[in-house]
Amino acid sequence: MFEPRRLHPISAVINFVKTLKDAALPLIIVFVLNGNILSGDVELIPLLIWAGVLILVLGSGIIRWLRFTYRMEEGELRIEHGLIFRKKRYIPIDRIQSLDFSEGIFHRPLNLVKVSVETAGSTGTQGAEAELTAIHRKEADELETLIFQEKHKTNEEGQEVVEDEEEITPPTREKVYGMTMKDIVWMAVTSGGAGVVISGVAVFFSQFMDLIPLGSIYREVLDWIQIGFLVVAFSVFLILLIAYGISIIMTIFRYAYFSVYLDADDLIITRGWLEKKQMTIPLNRIQGIRIDENLIRQPLGYASVTLISAGGSVLKGDEHQLKLLPMIKKREIEGVIQKILSDYQIGSDFKQPPKRSLYRYLIRHAWFGFLAAIPLSIFFFPYGMLSIIAGLFLLVLGWLAYHDAGWKINDHQLTLRSRTIIKQTYVMKKYRIQAASGTQSFFQRRASLSSVRMTLKSGSGGAVAHCYYLEEDDTNQVLDWYRTLNKVKKPAEN
Amino acid sequence: MENQPAQQISKRALTLWRIYGVIQVMIVVLLTIGLTVAVFLWNWPWWLLLIALGIILIELIVTIWLIPTLRWKRWRYEVSEQDIDLQYGIFIVTRTLVPMVRVQHVDTEQGPLLRKFRLSTISISTAATIHKIPALDENEAERLRQSISSLARVAEDDV
Repeated sequence: MFEPRRLHPISAVINFVKTLKDAALPLIIVFVLNGNILSGDVELIPLLIWAGVLILVLGSGIIRWLRFTYRMEEGELRIEHGLIFRKKRYIPIDRIQSLDFSEGIFHRPLNLVKVSVETAGSTGTQGAEAELTAIHRKEADELETLIFQEKHKTNEEGQEVVEDEEEITPPTREKVYGMTMKDIVWMAVTSGGAGVVISGVAVFFSQFMDLIPLGSIYREVLDWIQIGFLVVAFSVFLILLIAYGISIIMTIFRYAYFSVYLDADDLIITRGWLEKKQMTIPLNRIQGIRIDENLIRQPLGYASVTLISAGGSVLKGDEHQLKLLPMIKKREIEGVIQKILSDYQIGSDFKQPPKRSLYRYLIRHAWFGFLAAIPLSIFFFPYGMLSIIAGLFLLVLGWLAYHDAGWKINDHQLTLRSRTIIKQTYVMKKYRIQAASGTQSFFQRRASLSSVRMTLKSGSGGAVAHCYYLEEDDTNQVLDWYRTLNKVKKPAEN
Repeated sequence: MENQPAQQISKRALTLWRIYGVIQVMIVVLLTIGLTVAVFLWNWPWWLLLIALGIILIELIVTIWLIPTLRWKRWRYEVSEQDIDLQYGIFIVTRTLVPMVRVQHVDTEQGPLLRKFRLSTISISTAATIHKIPALDENEAERLRQSISSLARVAEDDV
C-alpha cells in the first residue's frame, strides 16, 4: 500500500453526477426560460452553451480522477489531487479518528465503497478531512487494517518494542443492537418525513407546470375544475397519500439492516439497503446521550436515542446528530445502553419542579397561542375562533412539559428531562459538560424558582440541555455538584 | 442565587454604557427631527410628535440611567483555580460556571471607545460556548487573560 494508488474509474462518473446534481436547478431554469421545448421554438445558443458546460464537467471529472492518488507512507495517509492546482494533503495516521464507509447505487454492483476519513479537526461545516470517492472493498479493508496497526504501534511506543512479526489482528466486532423490521416500519409510519416529500413534490410540480404546453390542456383543466371541488380534494388527498407512502418506503430503505457494533474503542453503526452507510464513532468522543419521545411515538411506547458526539463531519449528513437507536421500545433502552455505554444509567424517579411552577409552564407554552387567537378571532370571525382550540392544545402541552420536567444526579451523571414539544432526556457526565448556568428572572426570584442549563459539545457547536422553573435550592444543588468537578478525574482512556 | 461572585467590573463601564445610551437617544432625536420636518411640510398629524417626545423621555430614563446602573450592579465574576463564575442579566439573572479544565482559549478585545476608557472585553471560549466579561479594566483584563490561560494549561484534558 506504499505505492500511489488511484480510485476506481467509476469515481469519474460519480463526480460528474454529483456536479450535475448541484447544477440541476440552474439547468432546469435555463430549460424553462428557454421557451417551450415541446412546442418547438427553442433558442439554440443557450442550449449549446449548456451542452458545452456538461462536456466540461464530464471532462473535469475524468481529469480529477486521473490526478487523484493516495498512498500510505511514513505513518501518513498522503493524498495528492487537484485539477489545475496540485494539492497535497498528508494526514498523520494517529490523527485519524475514524474511517466511514458508505456505498451508493454506483458502488454496490462493483463492490466498491466510499471512504471518508475523519480527524478531530474536521468539523460539520467542512465535510470530511479526506474522501476517497470509490475504492474496492478489499482495498478499504486493507487501509483500515493498516491504519489500525499503525495507531496501535504509536500507542505502544515508548513502552516496549513491538515484535514486527506478530500480526496484530483487529478485534472482531460484537453486534450489540439490531433494529427489527417491525420497529423500522413503525418508525416509517410515524415519521414526519412526509412533509419533506410533499414539499419536494410541490417544487417539482411548480417547475413541471412551466414545461407543459398549458394552452392545449387548459380547456381540459377547466372541465376538470367543473367536475368539482370533490375531485380536487380527492386528488390532493391522493397525492398526500402517495407522498406519505414514498416517505415510508424511503425510510425503510434508509434504515434497513440498522445495526450497532462495538469494536474495541469504536462504535460502528451500519444501515441502509440500496445505499449502505457505515459510521464509526470513537467511544471517547461521545459527550452524552439524548432520549427523544415525540407526541406520536410516546403513546406507542417508543423513543429514540441520539448520541451527542464531539466532532467529525459524520454529523453533517442527513441528521445533525447521530441516531444511535432510531426507534426502540422505551423499556428496552436501558438494556441496550448498558451494553454499549455501560457507565451511563437510564434513571427513573426524577426530582420534579414544585407545584407553583405549573402555571409558569402553562403561560410559557400557551401565551403566544392565545395572543394570536385574539386577532384571528376578530378578523376571521366565526372560523377564527377555532384558533382558540390551538391555544388549548398548547395549554395541554404546557401541562405535559410541567409533568415531564425533572432532574436527577447519580454520582458523576446528571440527567435532565424537559419538553418543548418533544420530550427530551439528556444524560450527561460531569466531566463532559462544557458550562453550566442557572437563570432566574425577577418574578422567579420572588417565588424562589430558577432554571438550569447545561452545554455539551456537539459537532462544531454545542447542545444545550435545560430544565425550567426548578426549586431554587435544586438549581443550586446541581450547580454545586458541577462545581466539584476537579475532585473527580475522568476515568482512564487510552 | 446564593452567594454572589466577588469581583465587579470596572466603574468606568458605567460611564461607557451611558455614552452608548446617549448615542442611542441621539438616533431617536434625529428621527424626531425628521418627523418634525414632515409634520410641518406635509401636515402630518401633530400628535406623532408627542409620541416621539414620549419615546425620547423614556429612552433617556431607561437607556441612560436605568439599564447601565442595573447592569453594572448585577455584573459579577470570580476566577478561581477550579472555575470561572459569572453572574449577569438585568431582569433575568444568569449564573454561569465554566470549569478551568474546559477552557480552550481566552481573548481580549478593545474597540475605540473601550480603548478611550482603558477598558477591554475578555472572552473565554470552551469547546462549545463563548463567555464574555464586558468592560473590564485594561490591566485587570490582561492579568485575567494570563492567569486563565496558565490555569487552563495546567488543567489539561481532552474535549
